[in-house]
Amino acid sequence: MKMRIPILKLKDTLIVSIQVELDDQTALQFQEDLLDQLHKTSARGVVIDLTPIDFIDSFIAKVLGDVIHMTSLMGAKVVITGIQPSVAITLIELGIRLENVKTALDLENGLEKLTRELEA
Amino acid sequence: MNEVMKQSISDNIDTITKRWVEQMKDNSSERFLDLMPASVVETTSREFTTLMTSNLSHREKVDKERLDEFTEKIIHFGWSIKFINRAIDTFSAVVYELFFETGVLTNSNLRQGMDIFSSWINPLRESIIEEYATKWEQTDSLQKIALQELSASLIPVFEKISVMPLVGTIDTERAKLIMENLLEGVVKQRAEVVLLDITGVPVVDTMVAHHIIQAADAVRLVGAKCMLVGIRPEIAQTIVTLGINLTDFSTTSTLRRGMQEALQMTGRTIVEEE
Amino acid sequence: MEHGSSIEINTEWDIVAARQLGRNEAKETGFGTVDQARITTAISELARNIYLYAGKGVIKIEPVRAGQRAGLIITASDEGPGITDLQKVMEDGFTTSGGLGAGMPGVKRLMDDFRVETEVGIGTTITATKWLH
Repeated sequence: MKMRIPILKLKDTLIVSIQVELDDQTALQFQEDLLDQLHKTSARGVVIDLTPIDFIDSFIAKVLGDVIHMTSLMGAKVVITGIQPSVAITLIELGIRLENVKTALDLENGLEKLTRELEA
Repeated sequence: MNEVMKQSISDNIDTITKRWVEQMKDNSSERFLDLMPASVVETTSREFTTLMTSNLSHREKVDKERLDEFTEKIIHFGWSIKFINRAIDTFSAVVYELFFETGVLTNSNLRQGMDIFSSWINPLRESIIEEYATKWEQTDSLQKIALQELSASLIPVFEKISVMPLVGTIDTERAKLIMENLLEGVVKQRAEVVLLDITGVPVVDTMVAHHIIQAADAVRLVGAKCMLVGIRPEIAQTIVTLGINLTDFSTTSTLRRGMQEALQMTGRTIVEEE
Repeated sequence: MEHGSSIEINTEWDIVAARQLGRNEAKETGFGTVDQARITTAISELARNIYLYAGKGVIKIEPVRAGQRAGLIITASDEGPGITDLQKVMEDGFTTSGGLGAGMPGVKRLMDDFRVETEVGIGTTITATKWLH
């Protein structure tokens, strides 16, 4: 039972909506797939929407943080959207601050923010 | 002998009540007896003495319902636990004295009398105090809930801008509640900037600052920006003295200036009409 | 104990199973969404620690009642190597696995009560409780 998280391309942006609970393998697979796609498409921005996700533990947080770091190394910008209040509180209490991460309320806001970032 | 005692008490219940009130007044700093109307003191005292004698005939069985009612009442009147204790002591003393006067207790049956006396008063004291403690805990938790309901609501002021005024002391439990309300509100109101107004927070120590920083961090994660407004001079002093780092934050002294900045951040300004 | 469930942790997949179980129990006990997330996350951290450091162990999730309070107790036990320096493990950022080092102190912050019993060479049992408010 191995899942792949679909990665969509829209102009020069990759859009990822994570709809399922992430297990470790899926998370790592996603990291690989995203970097692959970035390389192939030379997209300049990534929006990762986490609206349906109802919890993030330290492992998934680390994978996410790594993905963001790696993406910026490859010269693209990332915006994370739709982090639920309960998820945000849990992350903060775990001591995970996800510093230097751009966030937005939802996918729409996230795309706007990314466009502004890329224009700047 | 129980029955004799019981009879003697119910024959003299008026005297007992009267003496009890007098003695309580003599050595009491509680305001209950002075402030309450005489009729209330009268009925409460009567209820108290009746309650005290209710388990004499069938020992160990305290009238639960009456105990319940009475305890609720005295908590309402603000009797302290110390006062209750003394009330029971005084009552025992009055009854003891009366037993001698009426000849129920004599030197020859003193020992037996004392046994009955203690196995009668002690369980009563225990039940009253236990009941008092339980009732008080209930009242306490109700008050806590009431306080929680009072605190921390997020107000949508403009599109994309919301304000949460914080009033009163912030402890860990309240901080959690504030954080939840704040985040749920941000998402629901689709706020892009929230102003956390701490004008009404009397003390900002390291713990409070820590909670505020956490809240702001969490707000950032859900995709909005948190500003801290209402920083009074003394708060600014303590923040710096304690070495609390708030540099990641935008902070302003007043809500008004914070609001101007928030409008700027969301690409708007206030324009005066010509 | 009203009911309760336990799950053996042998593979990575069991971590997912454990937290799903935890979320259901939390929902059933009457916890709100934030506490559900706290409990689920705590279970995930504890289960992962078992998987990473002991190889196998058991996560037990049980409802509790103490006086007027109700809650959920999570017990994570293993017969692994035990923890040599408990103080270090409870520090933020300390890790021997390349993780974030948020696990143990994080779980302590997410839950209301937290207790560790550990003996080197014998194993570790961690008990964490969350109360309904």
